[in-house]
Amino acid sequence: MAASSSENDSKNEGPSSREAEQPQVAAIRMPTAEEIRAQEVWNNCAVRSVVSGVMGGGLGFFMGLFLGALDNPIMQDEMTARQQLIYNAKQMGRRSWSSAKAFAIMGLVFSAVECVVEKARAKHDTTNTVIAGCVTGGTISARGGPRAACAGCAGFAAFSVAIEKFFDRHT
Amino acid sequence: MAANNTPAGIDKEQAFGMAETEMEYRVELFNRLAQTCFNKCVDKRYKESELNMGENSCIDRCVSKYWQVNGMIGQMLSAGGRPPI
Repeated sequence: MAASSSENDSKNEGPSSREAEQPQVAAIRMPTAEEIRAQEVWNNCAVRSVVSGVMGGGLGFFMGLFLGALDNPIMQDEMTARQQLIYNAKQMGRRSWSSAKAFAIMGLVFSAVECVVEKARAKHDTTNTVIAGCVTGGTISARGGPRAACAGCAGFAAFSVAIEKFFDRHT
Repeated sequence: MAANNTPAGIDKEQAFGMAETEMEYRVELFNRLAQTCFNKCVDKRYKESELNMGENSCIDRCVSKYWQVNGMIGQMLSAGGRPPI
């Protein structure tokens, strides 16, 4: 960073002085205690999973709002416009709340499992994503019995691997 | 402790020499430690600039093991004089 800024400065002075001025190499600066603590906060599994849960909740809230607004039947003859608006709003609210809860749980469980598994294995690769996706899918569809749990595990693991590959496609 | 101006058997040059040797030893130890744990823990295909959690915990464990083994070997060498084989 310091080298490029001093190179830009030397270019502004003129081409003749560019050869005379060598780019300065900055000394290594050890991170201060505050920087280390700030980085360590994000390394904590509890903090990460809670933040992921909150983000999932937000996402689920807006998705539920949108989907709840979509599938409201228009009953023109049964209710007045004001009643219909209230009914629509209640429907949207109910839908968005349940969707927010579901997504929040999904985000929380996935992030917590991935964090714990990665810390235990001390490696960063897709196996962590597969395990976390399997556990998340299993807990979501655990009510349907062991077969549904297995299917949910496999499905969600495949989905999360696909999402991860999609987001890392330039590297 | 007695005053440092009148040492018993150790003069200033020897003290400086010992300090210099110790400093070289420390620098060499740090460099070897950083090199070993970097080669062991960090994936060579750099994807991002920050250390992710897996690399962090790997580095913690690597440094801890290295330091412990280094201390043990130092004790064995200073006490026994010859490593038992």
